Amino acid sequence: MKYARVYFDDVKVGDELPPLVKGPVQQIQLTRYAGASGDFNPIHQDDEFARAAGMGGVFAHGMLSMGFVGQAVTDWSGAGAVRKLGVRFAALVRLKDVVTCRGRVIGKSSKDDVNLVELEVWAENQRSEKVVTGRATVVLPSR
Amino acid sequence: MAIEINKSLIGKEYPPYAVTVERGKIKEFARALGDANPLYLDDRVGGASEWGDIIAPPTFSITFRDENADTGAFLRELGTDISRILHGEQEFEIFRPLQPGLTYLCRPKIVDIYEKTGRSGPMAFVVRETSIADGSNEIVATMRGVTVVRL
Repeated sequence: MKYARVYFDDVKVGDELPPLVKGPVQQIQLTRYAGASGDFNPIHQDDEFARAAGMGGVFAHGMLSMGFVGQAVTDWSGAGAVRKLGVRFAALVRLKDVVTCRGRVIGKSSKDDVNLVELEVWAENQRSEKVVTGRATVVLPSR
Repeated sequence: MAIEINKSLIGKEYPPYAVTVERGKIKEFARALGDANPLYLDDRVGGASEWGDIIAPPTFSITFRDENADTGAFLRELGTDISRILHGEQEFEIFRPLQPGLTYLCRPKIVDIYEKTGRSGPMAFVVRETSIADGSNEIVATMRGVTVVRL
C-alpha cells in the first residue's frame, strides 16, 4: 500500500523497495523540471544545442532521475524520513526512456534512540542499464 | 586544445545567500517530479503531520541559488562554459526537512577540483558543498555536488 507506515522492527537486511516506474520521459517534463528547479541549461531543452555540444541530443537533468529515486525511497519510508541521499549519475536518460527506481536494505543501526536504515538505491532504463546508483539513509520509527 | 581548469578555486567560499522557501515552489517541484505525496502537496495533511506543515522533497534544496550570482561568470572563472558541464554526483544530508515560509542561509564552497581521463577523454571534477542553516543558525541540511567538466 502506498504511503503505508514502515516500522524499523519489521525491516530486514535484503528487503527490497517496491520498484517505482517513471516515464516514458517527455520533453514537457524536462521543461517543467527546468522551471521548478531553476536549471535552464539548454542542453535539456534544445536538441540542436545538445547536438552541437557533442551530446547527441537532449537528455534529462540528472536531478530529475535523482528526484525519481528519492520518490522510490519516500514512497516506502514516508516523506521526511530521508536523512541522506547520495547518487552518481552513471548514464544519460534520454527522451522516451522509462526509468525504474529500485532499492534494497543493506544495513540497520540504532543510536541515541534514532533508528537508521541503510539502502542501496539505483535506477535503470528499459534496457536494464543503470542510469543512477547510490545510497540512502532513512530514519524509521519503532513499534 | 584541452581547456585548462582553474584549480586555484579550491577552497573558495562564496558569499552566503538567504532563501525563503515558497509554498508554491515546493508543490511545483514535487509535481514536476510526478510525486503526488500529500506531505508535499496538501496543506491539511502537512498541518496534521509531525512537521506541522508541508515539507519539501529530499532533493528540493537543489533549487537554492544565489539570485545575485552570475553562473556564466562562475563557469568562465572555472575555465569552461555551460555546454561542457555534466552533473556527476549529488548528495543531500537532511537533518530536518525544509518547510515553507522559512528562511535558510546557504554557504557554498568549492572543496576540491581534480582531473581524470575517462572513456570519453580528459575531464575535471569540481566538488562543491553548501551548508544550509535555519533562522537559529542550526545546520538543517548540506548538499554536495560534483560537476564534471569535459576538457
